[in-house]
Amino acid sequence: MRRYEMMVILDPSLDERTVQPSLDQFLAVVRNDGGSVEKVDVWGRRRLSYDIEKKSEGIYAVVDLTAEPATVKELDRQLNLNEGILRTKVIRPELH
Amino acid sequence: MAKPAVRKPKKKVCLFCHDKISYVDYKDTALLRKFISDRGKIRARRVTGNCTQHQRDVATAIKNAREMALLPYTSTAR
Repeated sequence: MRRYEMMVILDPSLDERTVQPSLDQFLAVVRNDGGSVEKVDVWGRRRLSYDIEKKSEGIYAVVDLTAEPATVKELDRQLNLNEGILRTKVIRPELH
Repeated sequence: MAKPAVRKPKKKVCLFCHDKISYVDYKDTALLRKFISDRGKIRARRVTGNCTQHQRDVATAIKNAREMALLPYTSTAR
């Protein structure tokens, strides 16, 4: 088990209130594989420094979780398949 | 003959060593903005005065922040 921090940029056309439940749906993968989600922090709408997929804004969310490496890889894969997600980044904070 | 004025630059201390910050967070854009120029380029160590290790950490943090569109790759100010 390792600690991870995952940042997700979601499509700005989504409703901010639906972000939390839809993220929870994705994070079910972590819980089913014996991992745990410590914190889901939705930053809300924020201007992007440059356009991503022709969009100048994004909804940011940061998730702290503990899981097996394979689980996180699967989570990342599933997030990237989703149209409503512009970008993801997984980081292991203790490595730095 | 006038001697060329010898300027003794003040020795800068690494901000992170001084504040005892061990982890440079890529999410802290307010802090990272101090280390980029108005063009968006990473400032050199001789400008920032950071130590080797922390300059490296700052550079990686900035690059991570750029990937997540928190900081610009380039900004065409002027």
